Amino acid sequence: MVEPLRVVHYLNQFFGGIGAEEHANIPLQVEEGAVGPGRAVQQMLGDRGTVVATFVCGDNYFVEEGEQAAVAARQALEHYAPHLVLAGPAFDAGRYGVACAQMCAVAKEAGIPAVTGMYPENPGYTTFRRELVCVPTGTRATEMQAILTRMIELGAKLARGEGLGPAAKEGYLPTGLRRSVVRQQPGWERAIEMLEARVNGRPYPSEVLLQQYETVPPPPPVKDLGQVTLGLVTSGGLVPRGNPDGQVSGFAQEAFRYSIEGQQALSIEDWESVHGGFNPHILNTKKPSYVLPLPVLRELEAEGEIGAIYPHFFSTVGNGTAVSQAKQMGAQIAQEFKRAQIRAALLVAT
Amino acid sequence: MSKELARAGINVAVVSAIPMIPLSVEVSRVVRGVRVEHVCGDPNLNEENDRRLMRRIVETALQALQTEVAGPTLFDPDASSAEEGIHAS
Repeated sequence: MVEPLRVVHYLNQFFGGIGAEEHANIPLQVEEGAVGPGRAVQQMLGDRGTVVATFVCGDNYFVEEGEQAAVAARQALEHYAPHLVLAGPAFDAGRYGVACAQMCAVAKEAGIPAVTGMYPENPGYTTFRRELVCVPTGTRATEMQAILTRMIELGAKLARGEGLGPAAKEGYLPTGLRRSVVRQQPGWERAIEMLEARVNGRPYPSEVLLQQYETVPPPPPVKDLGQVTLGLVTSGGLVPRGNPDGQVSGFAQEAFRYSIEGQQALSIEDWESVHGGFNPHILNTKKPSYVLPLPVLRELEAEGEIGAIYPHFFSTVGNGTAVSQAKQMGAQIAQEFKRAQIRAALLVAT
Repeated sequence: MSKELARAGINVAVVSAIPMIPLSVEVSRVVRGVRVEHVCGDPNLNEENDRRLMRRIVETALQALQTEVAGPTLFDPDASSAEEGIHAS
C-alpha cells in the first residue's frame, strides 16, 4: 500500500475565494483542506492523496513582501510536511505567476517537489524557468481542470522520487537546463539527418533550443538632459476622467495620447486610472501622478534639469497585453517621438 | 514597449514597483518604484515627504538616462540618497 500523497496547494486571493484586487495586499494565510480549484484537485486525487492545506496570499503581498511571505510559507510547510506542493495555475496573471514561482522555490528549498502552471509569457515563468516545473497553460481559466490534471500527474511522479524526462516529452515548459546523455547515433549522423530534413522541408527538432527575449542594445546615455525634450509613457491606465476613448481595463490593444500642455499637476477631477490589474483606488482618490509624476517633472523642467516635457504623453493599461501587441504600441509611440526628435523617455510601468 | 523605443534609439528609463519583471525581459534601465498601486510615491507619507520621494524617484530615472549601461541595470532611489530617510506621518 502506497502512502497517500499529502498535497499543499497555493492560490492567490482571487482563486482562494477571499476577493478581488482590493484584497491583493493580504499576507499569507493557511486554510485547512482544499479551497476553490483545490476541490477539483482533491476529487482527482481520490484515495491517492489529500489536499492537507491551502496557502492563500495576496498577489501584491507575495511579490512586494517576498521575504516575509517566504518565511510564512516555509513555516507552514514545516507544519504540514507535504509530499508535494501545487501552485496555481496562474495562467497569464503576472504577479500571481511570480508568487507561484516563489512558492515553488520555497518548497524546493525545503526538499519538497513543486509544480505550477502558467502561460509561457508569464514573467513568473520567464524569470524563474530554470527552477520551475511548470505546465503550459493558455490565458483562460476555463482550462483549469485539464491543467490541474497534468500538474497532479507530474507532481505525483516527482513525489514518488521519479525524475522527469525532457520537458517536451513530459509536457512541462523548458527550464533551459540541459542534461548530458549518451546517444546511440553519433553527432555527425544526427546533424546530417537534420540537414536533410531541413533541405527537404520536413519538420525536425533541434537539439539546442534557443528561446530568449530579443535583446536590444541599450541606447547610449543622454549627456545633455538640460537640452533634451523628455517623452512620457505610462502603463498605469491613466485617462481623462470619463475615459473618452473607451480604454479597456485589461488586454489593451492601444496606447492613447493625451495633452498635458501647460498642466502643472494631474488632479483627480480631471484624470483617472481604468487599470484592471490592480486596484486604482489610490490613484483615483489621491494622486493620479503616482503613475505619471508630472508635478515633479515640471519642477525639474523649471530648474533646467530637463530641457522640456513633450506636450503629449502616451497611456495604456499594462495588464494581460501580449508581448507582440505591446511591441506594436511601442513602435507607434517611438514613431511619434522620433518625429518630435525626442531622445529620452520615462516609462512608468505597473 | 520600452524595447521598441530603445530600438528607435530613444533612451528610456522604466520605473516599476516589481523591477525584476522588466529586468527579466532585458529592459536596460530600470528604476525601483514603491508599490504597484503607487509606483512613484507613497500616500502613507505626509505631503512634503511624498513629494520628496517622488522627486527622488524621478531624479534616479534622470540619472539612469545619463548613465552608461552594458545590460539590464537596476537603479535604486533609496540607495542614491538613503541619508534623507523616509518617515511615515
